[in-house]
Amino acid sequence: MTRWRKVHGLRSSVTVAFALGALALSAALALGTYFSARHYLVEQRERTAMRQAFTDAAFVRDNLLTSGAQVSDVLGSISPPAGTVIFVHRDGRWYSSSLDLPGPEATSGVQPVVATGAAGVGWTSVTEPGAVVVGVPLPAVDAEYYEVAVAEELDRTLSTLGIALAICAAVTTLGGAMVGRAASRRVLAPLADVTTAAVKVSAGDLDTRLDRTEDPDLAALVGAFNNMVDALHERIQQDARFAADVSHELRTPVTTLTTSLSLLQGSTDLSPEVARAVELMAVELARFRRALEDLLQLGRLDADVHDAQPAEIGVRDLVRQALLAGGRAPALLVAECDPLREAHVTVDRPQMLRALTNLFDNADTHGGGLVGVRLKPRGTFVDIHVEDGGPGVPAEDRERIFERFARAGGRKLGTGSGLGLSIVARTVHNHGGSVWCTTRPGGGATFVLRLPLVHGDDA
Amino acid sequence: MATRLLVLEDDDGLRTSLRLVLENEGYDVVEAADAEVALEAVDQPGVDLMLVDLMLNGMDGFSFIRRARPQTDAPIVVVSARDGVQDIVAALEAGADDYVTKPFVVEEVQARLRALLRRPAMVSEGTRSREDDVFVLDSGNGPLVFDRGAAILTRGSRELHLTNTEFRLLGVLVDHAGRVLSRSALLEHVWDRGFFGDERIVDVHVRRLRRKIEMDPGTPSVLVTVRGLGYRLDVR
Repeated sequence: MTRWRKVHGLRSSVTVAFALGALALSAALALGTYFSARHYLVEQRERTAMRQAFTDAAFVRDNLLTSGAQVSDVLGSISPPAGTVIFVHRDGRWYSSSLDLPGPEATSGVQPVVATGAAGVGWTSVTEPGAVVVGVPLPAVDAEYYEVAVAEELDRTLSTLGIALAICAAVTTLGGAMVGRAASRRVLAPLADVTTAAVKVSAGDLDTRLDRTEDPDLAALVGAFNNMVDALHERIQQDARFAADVSHELRTPVTTLTTSLSLLQGSTDLSPEVARAVELMAVELARFRRALEDLLQLGRLDADVHDAQPAEIGVRDLVRQALLAGGRAPALLVAECDPLREAHVTVDRPQMLRALTNLFDNADTHGGGLVGVRLKPRGTFVDIHVEDGGPGVPAEDRERIFERFARAGGRKLGTGSGLGLSIVARTVHNHGGSVWCTTRPGGGATFVLRLPLVHGDDA
Repeated sequence: MATRLLVLEDDDGLRTSLRLVLENEGYDVVEAADAEVALEAVDQPGVDLMLVDLMLNGMDGFSFIRRARPQTDAPIVVVSARDGVQDIVAALEAGADDYVTKPFVVEEVQARLRALLRRPAMVSEGTRSREDDVFVLDSGNGPLVFDRGAAILTRGSRELHLTNTEFRLLGVLVDHAGRVLSRSALLEHVWDRGFFGDERIVDVHVRRLRRKIEMDPGTPSVLVTVRGLGYRLDVR
């Protein structure tokens, strides 16, 4: 059962359980009804048959007594009801009102009773359907009287009853299944809310809480869930605060270091060894400073989006500005939009320029140089393809590289902070878009940045 | 004469390193570890530029800027570890001209200082005659007259007081009178900043300028906003 439930789910299990319960109950009721009704009807039929048989037997006896008439004549004078055959056994001979039925077999069940001198009733299946056999001894004329009445009506009644009860049982089973389905849905409905909330929380929306409930069965779950999210939120905030505090405390010392070092760099009276050491310090300090800047930027992006000042801008304009800001050629931009219908997006310009510049820098540092930027409209979105001419990113690294401090390949002197792509991901996410990495048809990697388009009147 | 630069920074290490580098660049550096000392220095004539940290012991940088602004037109560059929007806008509203956030490279500070030091009159350098330097911006009640050669702005008989940066902003707008200037173009012309520049600098300065030149700063008629594009100076 447990294994079955694992495979088929709670809802199906509950439905099936309800259906089986309904089936068992209705089957028991139906069988009980059927058998008690059958018992009653059979008894009634037997009584009727006996009454008829006694009447007919008396008639036959009286006729045989009077004029010593022949049995066959007496039988011929009786007109039994349809489906009833009369047998008379006298002097070892069988007389019948019908030629179709062999008397000895049809009445064999009752003969021993009649032989003892008592009237007997029984059933035979020689006929189709079965028939009631009533045997009456006629000692006055030294004969045995038998009446075989085919119970056609009883059979029809019972089969009709059987069908009706079977239909009832089936309907009840179906009803049980439906009740089970409805009940399980009702019971599982709160779980759907929990699932929705959990999905939101895991997507980063830590303000999600379940609505309070009066239901005592659910209150514990709701309370536990909300407490869990509170704890998670608190923990994440603590981490973020710690990172922010550390970064913040490092700002001034790093600034002092870079400022002092710039003085050393400008000095001309250093020995070559010292000059080389100063150069190394400068390169690494620059990297340190970039990492700190990136950390601070990530902290701002994580903390809130209140800082963002979204404004509408043409995508081509945005990409052009990003190329220019990094000192790159605007001709790298290849637009595949209808030039008349300029696509617009709503973005915080400095944030998005930074994200694009990070992608361009990434292409230059790790991807053998930026090859081109393509714009492709995709329904209500626009895709910005940043293509490089490098070796591409292995499939297993394509998600990982957007994580913080993730790196593909070794560390080179003075390369990025390891945060550039996570800043891109976070920025794009905050703007309701997405970013991913794929391969470029001609080799190399393509980073696709998808942003929602503006569909305004003044777009 | 060397440009006199006031450095208001309470971190001894950073203040000293800034002095060393900027003196090396030829500035005459005056150090101040707190706002009171800095205010005394501003009271004396001769401070041409200021580098001001926002988070200080005692009086903070915002209050210092508000107190110092009436005393001097010298450009103020805010140097801050605080980079929230509210902090930057508040510092600019108080009267700062530009800002640099920590951690910075000293070249960035030098670039900001150089940009702000360009004289207002330098905007109009060239072959213009004296008459060409006088612009009537608003001929309405009490005409608004901008004399760039003499760096004087008057409304009627009253002279309006502009900081160096406000003068240069107005100069650029006058140069392109009747045409829309985008925020990034203004950033480039006035602050010498590239595409990464913060457009809020422009917005705050435009607000400050409007408070001085518009009859009703809430519904500007001279320095108008062109929604989604930038600003335009309308000569009336």
